[in-house]
Amino acid sequence: MTQAKPRTLPLSKRGMSFETFMWAFTRLTALGMYFFLLVGVVGALVMGALNQMSFIEVLRWALITNPGHVQYTNVPDIAPWASTFWRLVASGMFLTASSHGMHGVIVVLDDYFATVSQRQWIRILNLLGYIIVAPIGLYIIWTA
Amino acid sequence: MEITIKIFRYDPEKDTRGHYETYVVEGDENDRVLDVLELVKGKTDGSLAFRRSCAHGVCGSDAMRINGRNHLACKTLVRDVGANITVEPVLGLKVKKDLIVDMDPFFDNYKKMLPYLINDSPLPADGKERLQSPENRARFDESTKCILCAACTTSCPSYWANDAYYGPAAIVAAHRFIFDSRDEGASQRLHILSETDGTVRCHTAYNCTEACPRDIKITKAIGEVKMAMVTGKLD
Repeated sequence: MTQAKPRTLPLSKRGMSFETFMWAFTRLTALGMYFFLLVGVVGALVMGALNQMSFIEVLRWALITNPGHVQYTNVPDIAPWASTFWRLVASGMFLTASSHGMHGVIVVLDDYFATVSQRQWIRILNLLGYIIVAPIGLYIIWTA
Repeated sequence: MEITIKIFRYDPEKDTRGHYETYVVEGDENDRVLDVLELVKGKTDGSLAFRRSCAHGVCGSDAMRINGRNHLACKTLVRDVGANITVEPVLGLKVKKDLIVDMDPFFDNYKKMLPYLINDSPLPADGKERLQSPENRARFDESTKCILCAACTTSCPSYWANDAYYGPAAIVAAHRFIFDSRDEGASQRLHILSETDGTVRCHTAYNCTEACPRDIKITKAIGEVKMAMVTGKLD
């Protein structure tokens, strides 16, 4: 009996098109969001959130690690929460979530618009929206 | 027992749009929905049109919506769906007459998957078969069970929204050969399926898996094809 040797296709032969790449990207960015959320929760607990914030406040902070999310809590000093590290984490979460969501919208709209030109317009409009929203979001994160 | 069956009717020569007609027949709870349709056609209204062939769940001719879900009429018992039955054609394919839909787009998508063994290598030294281990055969066993009834494809919301999508049945057909250790056409099929109307249109609604009368884990098979695209692993 012939036991075939393991079959693995090289990258160029496995149909790794832009669509497939974006499919994988959407899965990875979903994992990325969990990662940033976990960093936010653990970081908050390390900074003393257990006795200074409610669970809801911790989650709100972890979703976007913006110092504005802790200013009305019992945290005595907001400075550690407004560090460059946390702004980088917030930027990472924001860019990951917004690109994930933007591509999600494209995938859903592709169900309803099948012609090449319609799909091109969907991509152009989404990209335009992203180009407008991303700098605004980053501006808020870095100036709040 | 008395069975009330409400059937979608459409005659392209008379009707501008479909409508429903209700029939009451005497039957048994162990009758199949196909038997009830035969009773209506044989005793009440001979103009009723539906497909059937083997009537034993092998040919896949009589996929239809029974009480809102895709089933084979020949595998669905009255006792499982109740004495009040609504029968409609499957969704997503154009109705030709009554319960008969145009299957051409479905089979066109199937053909695009190159559903045949591709192997241009020379035959083994003995000039006979290309042998395969039981383990390698088992890898694609699930997808060999497909009878092309279209119950999966026509239960898929992505296909309802956009019939340019190849659909679950076509991807299962591709799966059957992509993971066959004797086949050398996986790359061609994966390139076809990596297009915008390929596997990325699957949003894992699981309707296909629920609808399959052969209990093929279709959503899982589609997931395996997606992973083959990303990792290149065909075992």
